Amino acid sequence: MALIEIRDACVAYGSPPRPVLEGIDLCIAEGEFVCVLGQTGCGKSTLLRLVLGSEQPLRGRVLVDGRVHLHPDRSRGYVPQKYSLFPDKTVLDNITFGPEVGEFSLLGRLTPRFYRRRREFRREAFEYLRRIGMQESDAGKYPDQLSGGMQQRVAIAQALMTQPRILLMDEAFSALDSATRRGMQDLIRQLWRNTGATILFVTHNTQEALSLGTRLIVLAKESAASASRIALDMAVPEPGGEEDVPRLVRRLECAATSEKW
Amino acid sequence: MPLAFLLVHAKPGRTGTLLLSWMLFAAGIAAYFYVSNARHRDNPEDRVMPTIAQMARGMFDAALRPAEDEEQQPGNISLGRRFLGSMLWKDTVATSRRFFFSMVLLVPAVILGLHMGLFPYVGVFFSRFILFFDKIVALSLLPILFIAFGIDELAKVMLIVIGVTPTIVLDTVNLVRAVPAEQTVKAFTLGAGDFDVAYRVVLKQIMPRVLNGIRLNLKAVMLFLFAGEMIASTDGLAYRIALLRRHMGMDVIIPYVLWVALLLFLVDLGMRMVNRWLHPWFREA
Repeated sequence: MALIEIRDACVAYGSPPRPVLEGIDLCIAEGEFVCVLGQTGCGKSTLLRLVLGSEQPLRGRVLVDGRVHLHPDRSRGYVPQKYSLFPDKTVLDNITFGPEVGEFSLLGRLTPRFYRRRREFRREAFEYLRRIGMQESDAGKYPDQLSGGMQQRVAIAQALMTQPRILLMDEAFSALDSATRRGMQDLIRQLWRNTGATILFVTHNTQEALSLGTRLIVLAKESAASASRIALDMAVPEPGGEEDVPRLVRRLECAATSEKW
Repeated sequence: MPLAFLLVHAKPGRTGTLLLSWMLFAAGIAAYFYVSNARHRDNPEDRVMPTIAQMARGMFDAALRPAEDEEQQPGNISLGRRFLGSMLWKDTVATSRRFFFSMVLLVPAVILGLHMGLFPYVGVFFSRFILFFDKIVALSLLPILFIAFGIDELAKVMLIVIGVTPTIVLDTVNLVRAVPAEQTVKAFTLGAGDFDVAYRVVLKQIMPRVLNGIRLNLKAVMLFLFAGEMIASTDGLAYRIALLRRHMGMDVIIPYVLWVALLLFLVDLGMRMVNRWLHPWFREA
């Protein structure tokens, strides 16, 4: 059974409703690394929000693990492009936020058990800090004291601390310089292999999608006024396969702009 | 260019900044004493613009003489104890008490604003009413408040609450709505519930700006407090100013006004320091 199943979904905004996504059919199996490509404004983030539960389809249905989710919850981790960390919390508190809120209510924080558990959460958080290549001395810093790349590293660690089966990443590396971006790509690929999570990765960077994903989905509109549909859904070929990378990039870009290939 | 120092790209130096920032104070004080001396040369009994000596004597009496004429203090009493028994101190305590209660009553306003901004049904339930309430001129309610609550403390505190609460509520709603949606979505994906999002994520993020908003409303708080005290009170800084106005007691009124300004400045400074201490992560241009 597919972990994420989208059936004939349509999303519309405005009044009267203007469709943004139309006829989306998609099944994603557990453990896949799916990259969603497309031009700006083609509804990539909307597709991600459907899976997240922060957006509901006008028609059709979205099932995650066989259930309709009306709100975002702990089963799907989320790393947005911006505002991924809580600015009022240190790196350590950002990473431990998930386990803390998951286990302790507002009043539960007043019990001695909370402080015992917090020590354990912090030990685990330090382990994640090490895995994402950061120093222990960074733990006490606030997000605005970190570079963009470091902030996204912490955001990934924060999302992984709750061990979600699904990780949704919305242009998570698009604001980073190319060197930092390559480092982050290596990190996320390694974390994906280690955790076995299902990743839905939205990007407009074709090379990035090819180097990260196991499967590519390209969203495109037929005309400026029409809604986006899935123009291409393909497995990422193994390196050294029949189709070379420049040709593949061209093919994906044609799909994204609805040009004939 | 000879007037380059007036242009956009000018960079005042440290000494220049210090001198310029105090220049208007110095000019104002000098102008006051020049006019005051001129008036006193024409009429030594002039009470409109007291001299520095008269104001010092007036403030000395207010700050170091007993509050009531019948209270007698022993001659060897310390300056501190004389101050604590003085009219100035008693008025300051009375006004501060009302001010403090009013500030405490602003806490529910912040909580209401938080819930209005975050929970749509709470928002639609309250927002039209609060927006309407915000347009009512609080001072026009003064007679109604005195009739409804009497002329005791409650009416004065209610005047401040009614005057400032809608602004604080609406300000908080706007701050809550300015928190990026990514933050609340992220919190939910990390397992937070609605109240975790409200109190652990949103309130914590908006708190420094809420405190700044309250700081900027301090003058409005004092305005309503002074209006209440001037009309119906038997103590307090504004009551004393209103009382002395009847006797043309400018030698005490002017120092009292400066004392109020100093107190507000200290409260503002204190709130800024507390804000910085409580929210070390907060940086605002």
